[in-house]
Amino acid sequence: MLFQLFDHPWPPFPFVSVMILRYSLYAVKGELDMSVSPGRTIRVGLALVLVGSTLSVAAQTATARIVTAANTFLSKLDEKQRQSVLFAFDDEKQRARWSNLPVSMVARAGLGLKDLNADQRAAAMALVSSALSPRGFEKVEQIVEGDELLKTKGGNNPMFGKDLYFISILGKPSERLPWMVQFGGHHLALNITIAGERGVLTPTLTGAQPALYTLDGKTVRPLGQESDKALALLNALDEGQRKQAVLGFQTADLVLGPGQDGKTIQPEGLKATAMNDKQRAMLLDLISEWANIIHESAAGARMAELKADVRETWFAWSGPTTADPGKNITAYYRVQGPHLVIEYAPQKLGGDLSMHVHTMYRDPTNDYGRGLTVK
Amino acid sequence: MKAMLIAAAAICLVLEAPLSAHRLDEFLQATILSVEKDHVQASMRLIPGVAVSSAVIATIDSNADGVISEAEKWAYARRVLGDLSLSVDGIRLGPKLVSVDFPQVEQMKEGLGEIHIEFTADLPQGGPSRRLILENHHESRSAAYLMNCLVPRDRDIHIVAQHRNEQQSFYQLDYVQADAASVSSGSEWWRGVSRWTSAGGFTSVFRLGMRHIAEGTDHLLFLLALLLPAPLFVVVSRWAGFAGVRQSLVRILKIVTAFTVGHSITLALAALGFVRVPSRPIEVLIAVSILVSAMHALRPLFPGKEAGIAAFFGLIHGLAFATTLAQLGLGRWEQVAGILAFNLGIESMQLIVVAAIMPSLILLSRARAYGAFRMGGAMFAGIASLGWIAERLLGVHTPVDMVANSVAHHAVWIAAVLFLISLAGWSLTDKQLLLSEPISPPAITRT
Repeated sequence: MLFQLFDHPWPPFPFVSVMILRYSLYAVKGELDMSVSPGRTIRVGLALVLVGSTLSVAAQTATARIVTAANTFLSKLDEKQRQSVLFAFDDEKQRARWSNLPVSMVARAGLGLKDLNADQRAAAMALVSSALSPRGFEKVEQIVEGDELLKTKGGNNPMFGKDLYFISILGKPSERLPWMVQFGGHHLALNITIAGERGVLTPTLTGAQPALYTLDGKTVRPLGQESDKALALLNALDEGQRKQAVLGFQTADLVLGPGQDGKTIQPEGLKATAMNDKQRAMLLDLISEWANIIHESAAGARMAELKADVRETWFAWSGPTTADPGKNITAYYRVQGPHLVIEYAPQKLGGDLSMHVHTMYRDPTNDYGRGLTVK
Repeated sequence: MKAMLIAAAAICLVLEAPLSAHRLDEFLQATILSVEKDHVQASMRLIPGVAVSSAVIATIDSNADGVISEAEKWAYARRVLGDLSLSVDGIRLGPKLVSVDFPQVEQMKEGLGEIHIEFTADLPQGGPSRRLILENHHESRSAAYLMNCLVPRDRDIHIVAQHRNEQQSFYQLDYVQADAASVSSGSEWWRGVSRWTSAGGFTSVFRLGMRHIAEGTDHLLFLLALLLPAPLFVVVSRWAGFAGVRQSLVRILKIVTAFTVGHSITLALAALGFVRVPSRPIEVLIAVSILVSAMHALRPLFPGKEAGIAAFFGLIHGLAFATTLAQLGLGRWEQVAGILAFNLGIESMQLIVVAAIMPSLILLSRARAYGAFRMGGAMFAGIASLGWIAERLLGVHTPVDMVANSVAHHAVWIAAVLFLISLAGWSLTDKQLLLSEPISPPAITRT
């Protein structure tokens, strides 16, 4: 089946590029060893061409792949479905039509998965997957599975479940002009802007309830790393740093949740200038849990940007500074930099703060890729 | 929709809401302030949870007709404003409603409705350094408050600090504000510094430096313990009698200057990012420095070398000062001015403390009882430092911080009482002795 190909974004690709790179390295090494070899120029030239073409193919692939997946998905829809899935690229209302709430409570536009047949649904998921990294897509699947549990354990509660996720496309899928894919429902809002080779994931909301569950005998924590890495960073701080990082007040919810686009609040907590290199690396690793949801080449560019900003990035914590082993933290935290706001907000609802969390990932300067698309 | 509502209600009530998605028994009230030169704006989001929404709706829908009329919306918004208290520099402000936006009643019943209220308040003319306080008491029994402020759009406004109580019902915003007219010409660096300075950044960081010493019991204790034996001379490796006014003053001046030179060097180096040392070992070393100076006050360990010791430990204290300065998040060109301001603040407070304590020490040191006083002070500093070392090294909790802070809180009174006692002691002894040259100590031990 064709869509199976898209489930994982072109799996042989990384393997092939590693092979090519390795060959190029050998070629260059050969050049060093046999400096008078007549084949030297040819080998070096060949290596350069190979490296160059690998890079250019890698750069082209992501967007081209997503565009292909989008067009495949669109081609499987009838005219009426196509009309409801497509929006204008600059449709501000549709851009902001996302929430952490169940679909029954805050209606989403676009096409609901429940209104798609198996083939169309697979194509829709292939499109989402093509724009994400394997780990990013796995996270999405785990969040959706969690919601399915809310449905089945709630006596087939019609408010939740896999069917209630929506997909929409803003603008025309293009390798040059900017366009957007949105996918979301309860506890999930992916806003993916594709602009040429660039890919932007902000703003994106991820959430989990239950934040810990067992599926097919495996323990799943959709946002477990977000919790564990933050706690590890907190524990790596010394007393003085911790005093600055831990805020002396309760934070009941996201400050910049749905509907709060484009706002930059005054940062607080511990600034990373006051961290050592290891702590800063841990901070970046924590940030990567969100930055790496999008496909690898976009994530690479994003991480480079965030790394350049790291000294201007703040880490603030509010709430208990310990967690039960194997469970999520019950504290709120925020990571904020010049191009970044991450919030992790455990939710009281359900009785156990460690079992229900909402997180927000923003770039106040580039929500919906505005920084790339506004001239 | 009705079926959905029933389903939602069923989950909330029957399963006691382990599996739902909206707010339950809290009334979330999130306020974001935005400060401009002549006014402050605020946007509030009010989201009553499902368990409290009917009560909230009842207070809004005053005629209980099930519909929230335009008049009822504005009346409710005014009531919310009435439950706020907003002030700047102690002057109460009168917020004015800008917009009011209500969700559907049905949405609110489900705990989903967001009420949006925007208001604005004019700010009276004031100094460059301003303090804005917002308190929210609306529906305090069920409220979960959030208070924040936006990064000011106006680049002349620089936020210095935010303070909140645990519930976030109290919010204090300290900021400095430059007058655009005072921006002088010159290089960008100099413009930045002069703008920051004229904005009151200099004074507020200066004050921060003073407060840092006044409240930083450990820095003070180190210095005081070192000064304790300064008026004495040494006889056979023991502290003996009074060494004379002039010699005492010279020594004190040397010690304080050496300490200042030491901590200025490392403060500058660390604040500018040339050195970075983890704060924990620094905190431990500071406690050790107190222990060393306390032991020196008991028995002379390094007579005549106090200034060198003060300079050496000053280097360590300076690294701790830098941490405080780093918290401010000053811009690059503000940093140099910031270091200067902070250091001057530290120096001034130090001088105030020394000026307040030294006359007493010089007067007292002539008395026999000074030995007991010196021992007592040294023991206090020594025990405090041991407590701090244990706390900072092993993470155990000791009452040291509490005791030392409560002593520091009453510092003015203690200094005053000390001065009175020393005056009393002095008036009872032979004044001639004090003002005359000291009793010549044996030549071998003269320091």
